[in-house]
Amino acid sequence: MNDKGAILPAENGVEAAVVGWLKDALNKKVFDALLIPVEVPAGDSFAYLLLRDPALLENASPLPPVMPIQGARAISRLTMRGNGSKRIAAVVRPCEARAAIELTKLEQAHLDNLWLITVDCPGVLPLSDYLEDPAAGAARFAEASQRWDRASMRPACQTCHYFSMPASDLHVGTLGSADGTVFVIPGSPKGERVLEDLNIPLDVALDDWTARVKEMERAQTERRQQAHADLRAGIAGPDGLLDVFSDCINCHNCQRVCPVCYCRQCYFESAALKLPPENYLTRSERKGALRFPPDTLLFHLGRASHMILSCVSCGACEDACPMSIPVAQVFSMLADRAQETLGYVAGRSLEDPLPLATYEMDELHQVEQPYVEIYHKREVQDA
Amino acid sequence: MSDEQEFEPRIIYFLCSWCGSGGGETAAAHHLHYPENVRPARVNCTGALPAVHIIRPLIEGADGVAISGCYPGDCHYNDGNFRARRRVALVKSILDTLGLEPERVWFRYVAHGEGQRFVDTATEFNDHIKKLGPNPLKTRSDT
Amino acid sequence: MPEGLKINKGAEDAVRGLLRSLLESGRVNGVLALGRTGGANGGVAYSLFTDPGAFVADGAALPLLPFMPANAGGLLSRLTLREPLAGPVAAVVKPCELRAFIELVKRSQGSLDNLLLISSTCGGVYPLDVGANGGLKERLPRYWEAVKQGVLDDDVRPTCRACMQFIPDNADITVALVGEEDLDTQCTLFLNTEKGAEFVEGLEGTSLSDELETEQIKRSHGQRAAYREELFAGVEVGMQELIRTFGRCIGCHACKTVCPICYCSLCYFDSQDCEYLPEIYESELERKGGLRLPPNTTFFQLGRLAHVSVSCVGCGMCTDVCPADIPVSTIFSKVGASVQALFDYQPGKDVTEEIPLMTFEEEELAQVAT
Repeated sequence: MNDKGAILPAENGVEAAVVGWLKDALNKKVFDALLIPVEVPAGDSFAYLLLRDPALLENASPLPPVMPIQGARAISRLTMRGNGSKRIAAVVRPCEARAAIELTKLEQAHLDNLWLITVDCPGVLPLSDYLEDPAAGAARFAEASQRWDRASMRPACQTCHYFSMPASDLHVGTLGSADGTVFVIPGSPKGERVLEDLNIPLDVALDDWTARVKEMERAQTERRQQAHADLRAGIAGPDGLLDVFSDCINCHNCQRVCPVCYCRQCYFESAALKLPPENYLTRSERKGALRFPPDTLLFHLGRASHMILSCVSCGACEDACPMSIPVAQVFSMLADRAQETLGYVAGRSLEDPLPLATYEMDELHQVEQPYVEIYHKREVQDA
Repeated sequence: MSDEQEFEPRIIYFLCSWCGSGGGETAAAHHLHYPENVRPARVNCTGALPAVHIIRPLIEGADGVAISGCYPGDCHYNDGNFRARRRVALVKSILDTLGLEPERVWFRYVAHGEGQRFVDTATEFNDHIKKLGPNPLKTRSDT
Repeated sequence: MPEGLKINKGAEDAVRGLLRSLLESGRVNGVLALGRTGGANGGVAYSLFTDPGAFVADGAALPLLPFMPANAGGLLSRLTLREPLAGPVAAVVKPCELRAFIELVKRSQGSLDNLLLISSTCGGVYPLDVGANGGLKERLPRYWEAVKQGVLDDDVRPTCRACMQFIPDNADITVALVGEEDLDTQCTLFLNTEKGAEFVEGLEGTSLSDELETEQIKRSHGQRAAYREELFAGVEVGMQELIRTFGRCIGCHACKTVCPICYCSLCYFDSQDCEYLPEIYESELERKGGLRLPPNTTFFQLGRLAHVSVSCVGCGMCTDVCPADIPVSTIFSKVGASVQALFDYQPGKDVTEEIPLMTFEEEELAQVAT
């Protein structure tokens, strides 16, 4: 891993540059296929297409205005049962790449024959905003992303501080590059080899990019911390929390679209929670009523306990919620704190072991309840 | 009589089948007592206790959840208690972030021969929960 | 002529009063009905109530609210899935929810034992996004005015406006709402079964015999039929058109999760059968040049149609929950209607009527064999 990159000409914009570069790679058989967002036939959304025919790149978009499906899900479906013989380049947002890395650790994806290619990311629009008027949405996105203005993006994107990608195989750096050019930065030996095969020399210093990225990271981290502090104050305690989830209809969309929630059958939909009527009536008597279907809060807190250590704060959950519950905001707040407690950053590197699959002998003593011997003596006194 | 004295907490005390329950058995052998409202629930190993089962009692009506297992290094399954410690840290992080009183969850090692420590934990936790009062989630029917 | 009980209270008061007295007297152990969640947001959810105090005037229960956060047919299945109820429980549900439950009972996903089913002639429900964040409150006066006139508020779910099955004569008790101009001061409960009559014993009111289907209801039928035709005609058919319509489908399967008829714990499309080996992806890629991932977007929709259309009750949950704004319920209702007509089958009408795919006649459907 060196600190040099390459320059890619981009007179017609980032999208054209990236598509052109990948088309070239496809034609030169450096890759056998690409996995890239392509506009759907009706022009009202984008879907991941695995393609080997360069002609299909006509409507491709490396940075589409929306993320209807989290790219890591597409990568996982493709490689769940192993890698084939084809070398595939997947063009994804940084959070999608990070989720793919998490899924690989969770054995739901295999990245041996797959190259993750990312681009500095300005965010995506909330899906429902975009669907109201796709053409206007696309225009709004194009304009806002030029200025790196995240105000109209998903709430999760507004507070994203991992918009640039250290752990993909190849990264396109648009921040800090001179007009009409973009950086191409290898992130792994695999990525370096591709640039060699394409005769693209690594002869450019990355100081400008690094500086600009760090500057934006600092600003975004501050925004994120403020947003989480505000949210925490606003929803603290059972009342605040149940307010947030008062509209929840238990559709489980959030779980379905989450890239990290990979279980074929979610625990919260399994027979474990489908109980005889006496159970429901007894619980109802205890509290006067029982919200039905039951276990709404359990689903959210339980799902959090299952996945926040791998949560990449992509915001797919919030986009999919039909009741406009700020799921991603709550979960990314939980994720940050839990990951920090266990010294882990989701999606940073394949080398970081999953936090629940490992431990240290000497850690987390704050969780151990100290034994106060005085208590024992008091009991003897009172006896 | 204060409300505090009338409030009898509902407490679930998870005990691993080796040291945790062993502590309970030693306490019994020494005729030591602990409050009746602290209900033991046996798991094979604290490492086998899913995070969901710490959260669920707190939603369904428990006022406190205590967990006791072997000391680090003594786990019958080598490292179950280390996994448990991480899992408890995770649950406490979630509860703390959401203002749901992580102090209603205690994680304390109790060895097979530590009968006094076992009853002290049960009694101390019971008193601690009495001070905290009933779990506010208990009365919410919209959970 | 069905037996009825006219109560001198507005419909909401009457129904709440009935449920409160059933709980207080211990004649039922619980009531499944809509209610306020504790949140300040004005959230609404179904709840299994055991406290009669929920049914006082400003209590948590809102049994007749025009909202459907979940199809209660699925909830009744959840309640009675493992075992039938040991004692009586009342449930206040919309006609399509009742029909969905009957379809589930036919599939051994629930039991009718000990259930007191209360429904009403139905003026439709508002879509989920209208109800989110407390949006229902301001709609209610307009809604009830429309119901009294026997018409539907334009803003209710499209499948509600097209619904022809809004007279649930197979409930134990049916509350007359549609076309009842004096809803605010009096209310007629139609007692369709012996069980219904038994459970209202002792309730203050005047017995009468009357038809559920009034003139207003017949007019409403006509309006709905016209809208239904228009709605279905608007669906774009043909493979290319379907690909366009489902082009923005994100494969979240929310439509399946909220559908009362889709009860499978593990859907075929989530199972290992649809987790393909890399070789399969590669050969498809070779063949077609391009392959949408994850796969099976349109296949899922057609497959689900094959599985449930025969029992689709047109509740409209699927459209409401779709993050991609696809009019799923319009398409499913349309296909459902034609499949049901083919088999001359009315889902949810009669629990003894077998599901068409579970039975056959020796001589039928000659047009299918070539």
